[in-house]
Amino acid sequence: MVESKHKWKAWLYLSPAIILLLIFTVWPIINTVYMAFSEKYSMMEAFTGKQFTIGFGNFEHVLVKSVGTVGSDFFRALGNTAILCVITVPLSTILALLIAVCLNSIKPLQKLLQTIFFLPYVTNSIAIGMVFAAMFQVIGMAPDGSEAISWGLINEFLKVFGVDSIDWLGSTDGDYWANITVMVVYIVWNALPFKILVLLGGLQGINKQYYEAARVDSTSKFRVFRKITVPLLSPMISYVVITSFIGGFKEYSSIVGVFGEDMNGGRLNTMVGYIYTNIEKKQGYASAAALVLFVIIFIVTMINLYVSKKKTHY
Amino acid sequence: MKVVLQNLTKIFPSRNKKAGGEVVAVNDFTFEIPDGKLIGLLGPSGCGKSTTLYMISGLQKPTGGKIFFGDDDVTELSTENRGIGLVFQNYALYPHLTVKQNILVPLQNLKGENKLSKQEMLERAYEVARLVQIDELMDRKPGELSGGQQQRVAIARALVKMPRVLLLDEPLSNLDARLRLQTREEIRRIQRETGITTVFVTHDQEEAMSISDMIVVMKLGVVQQTGKPQEVYDNPTNLFVAKFLGTPPINVFNGSIKGGKLFLGDSAVLDVPELEDRENVYVGIRPEGFVVDPNGPLSCDLSSLEVMGRDVSVVSRHAASINPVIRSIVDADNKIDPTSPTINYSLKRHKVFIFDGETEERIYFEV
Amino acid sequence: MSDINNTPETDVQETSAELNVTDVQETPGKPTITTMQEIDVQKTSQKQSVFKILGKIAIYTFLIVMAIITIFPFYWMIISSLKTAEEFRAVVPTLFPQMMDAANYTEVFDTSVRDFDILRLFTNTVIVGIVSTLLSLVITIFSAFAFARLEFKGKNALFAALLATMMIPGELFTVTNYVTVNYFGWLNTYTVLIVPFLVSVFYIYLLKQNFMQIPNELYLAAKVDGTGDFKYLCKVMIPLALPSIISITILKMMGAWNSYMWPRLVNTNPDYHLITNGLRNASFTAAEGNIPDTPVQMAAVALVSLPLFLVFIFLRKYIMKGVSRSGIKG
Repeated sequence: MVESKHKWKAWLYLSPAIILLLIFTVWPIINTVYMAFSEKYSMMEAFTGKQFTIGFGNFEHVLVKSVGTVGSDFFRALGNTAILCVITVPLSTILALLIAVCLNSIKPLQKLLQTIFFLPYVTNSIAIGMVFAAMFQVIGMAPDGSEAISWGLINEFLKVFGVDSIDWLGSTDGDYWANITVMVVYIVWNALPFKILVLLGGLQGINKQYYEAARVDSTSKFRVFRKITVPLLSPMISYVVITSFIGGFKEYSSIVGVFGEDMNGGRLNTMVGYIYTNIEKKQGYASAAALVLFVIIFIVTMINLYVSKKKTHY
Repeated sequence: MKVVLQNLTKIFPSRNKKAGGEVVAVNDFTFEIPDGKLIGLLGPSGCGKSTTLYMISGLQKPTGGKIFFGDDDVTELSTENRGIGLVFQNYALYPHLTVKQNILVPLQNLKGENKLSKQEMLERAYEVARLVQIDELMDRKPGELSGGQQQRVAIARALVKMPRVLLLDEPLSNLDARLRLQTREEIRRIQRETGITTVFVTHDQEEAMSISDMIVVMKLGVVQQTGKPQEVYDNPTNLFVAKFLGTPPINVFNGSIKGGKLFLGDSAVLDVPELEDRENVYVGIRPEGFVVDPNGPLSCDLSSLEVMGRDVSVVSRHAASINPVIRSIVDADNKIDPTSPTINYSLKRHKVFIFDGETEERIYFEV
Repeated sequence: MSDINNTPETDVQETSAELNVTDVQETPGKPTITTMQEIDVQKTSQKQSVFKILGKIAIYTFLIVMAIITIFPFYWMIISSLKTAEEFRAVVPTLFPQMMDAANYTEVFDTSVRDFDILRLFTNTVIVGIVSTLLSLVITIFSAFAFARLEFKGKNALFAALLATMMIPGELFTVTNYVTVNYFGWLNTYTVLIVPFLVSVFYIYLLKQNFMQIPNELYLAAKVDGTGDFKYLCKVMIPLALPSIISITILKMMGAWNSYMWPRLVNTNPDYHLITNGLRNASFTAAEGNIPDTPVQMAAVALVSLPLFLVFIFLRKYIMKGVSRSGIKG
């Protein structure tokens, strides 16, 4: 590195980033914590100079008092988020791994298929959410749920396998798991491209000689997968799992895409949705919820890192 | 332009922060580079030769001492104002620019009264390209050139602004053996034709010896010896210099001096009447210092013969030798019986150097 | 034992046989190599090619089925957008429209039918996308350059601090940023959509890594040639890091195209809505009742998706490169 006398120059290059970061990143960290511990903090009241009691009131509201309230139950939001995470992360990871390994083992059509599999990445999650809604849509359902003009594409397809029609997007209690299924399908579909891309990149980075050596030793394909591919790919797999857990905990707009902003009467609300519903009026609650979200993501990430450190081979 | 280095010192903070301390890369280097000469800075890696070069270039600032270009003190002058050309070890050609554009960069940066018109720039670029014989390659990108061609482009780029001093950092280390020979002749020719004072850094003594007007041998930041290549080879001031110069390397023995005779083990090999008795000395004998002589005083176990046409390289062993084997180069006219278990040598006095057993400094005797 | 020379293409069945071999080999002093000579070459090679073909068929079948599932929503979007509302509501959905009709597309552009001014939404999105991308690039390039090539006190600590902020979920910033932009009086402007997101630590990191790959000698050579820092940045580093810069540009533009929550929060005035807000807010219902007019909605969705597809088709390489290093969508 060159020894320069003009050290201030570096700061000049950095100044735009630093100023913006101070306002929109550093200050928020401080202020969000402050707001979270200022009981019933409200921006409008703060602008008029009101002082707030410091305490755990906001957390109490979020974690205790909100329970059971329609549409703004924090644990309902947490539950929805956790359910989606726990189902979609393993499902999409395993599926992506399978597709990536298969893609890596073929030559003709590889590029074309790779491009097709990447396609869902370049989409607008609201817009394509609407397409999924259209696919699962049941049109003209009678109030008692008995009749419909059309049971929609997916039901029609499932009928071939003898499955009874389901009101996928319905908002009665009985339809909750149907709703979740729709979201799982959409989220997995949406999550695959990134994972396939990363895993395939990892696979192509593995030295071919390991495979050649395995062949010479007449190792079976399944064993090669278990003993060579997965261990050597483990850093990529853990990267993909961690990022998708983090992404999963921030799930919101894809649900809005499918179910609308009402999210089936708030029944499908998520953590981020919970924060957003409070952000305009009750920043104290929103801040407290955001901190809780941060802590959860932090803990889950740490667990992931701990597990992958134990399982990862280097 | 003569270049004077005065008590030049460079101290780096130690890499290992916990241990603290400092690393002295260059220690009290004083040397005058005469105008228009080609100087080789020579030493093993980590000896401070590159640091010295970088200090001359201005890319690194000395911790102490001064640098003069002619009579100007340039110590505080930054690189771009020193008017130097520098050829990097890996050439540092801009990969996205063509050869022509690469060569033009230094000219485009000229300011004020030195500013050139587009036409003049091109003329200068082609002139220097012809000098290094790459004028055919001007529209290619560096990636499309061979190592040797890239090297020439790098030299052209360094030369095009007519630098006061040309610096080359390990200019040949990235070339294959054949190209290396060719390119070093080329550097010599270009330096002669332009007459620019040139300093180059190398760890390869053969390279330095073959083309330099003067060489500077460095070790651990300290200059060991300076002088014309042949002088340094013939008269090393210490064991390090003697070992560093010459291929095959010098043969080193444990020896002693008793009663005006130099002993290697039990054999008295040379008369050194003016020297006092000493228990431990190092004795260096150049490979060409051995003469096959059935009655010679140094008797060695013969291991093998390598015939190289004009010469024969003889590999033998002796108990006092520090190197595992002794390598000597003798005339092929000597008829040596390869099956013979031993070989006897007498020695050429001027190819034998005696060094102090402690300080490794040279102990001189009458030749 | 002749199984052991079977092609690796075969699977579970011979795993056991293969495992045995390993077991035997693990016992010291018992060479098992002799079995290799007993292979019936012809039989094995026949078996080998059968397994190979079956394996390939299975792999291709799986991949093609998955590929069809992957593109089916896009197909459904397009064919639905070409159907009449009646056909879409048919008891048995059709996989191919009986009558191709672009009327749905013309209806999307008709602002009198519903509150969905697609042209204005497009314009807003493009303005926000271009301005924020350009400014963001300048900031990113400057910062990455400072971190990659300049020396100053506290550089490493500062960079580590920046990276640490990537751990924090964006929602934590959003709460305060909402208060801040209110305080600045930025609601219902373009500014509020652009300024808070100009600095992306991730992009700085990405570009810094790329800049660091450029050999330091080039910078030293530039110094020797008298090239200043700024000129070096523009003439050498930016051209050499162009693929990364293009990746960042595309990802940032895609971000503007896909952003939904923040614009909805801060810009209640439809004049400043972005495309996704407009799309979600518009009620695509048929005039004669409360039945959704999905084909028109699908036409709108197709139009919104179109620019992304065009970008994808032409710049796929850069997107995939950028994404494989990121994991951040939008």
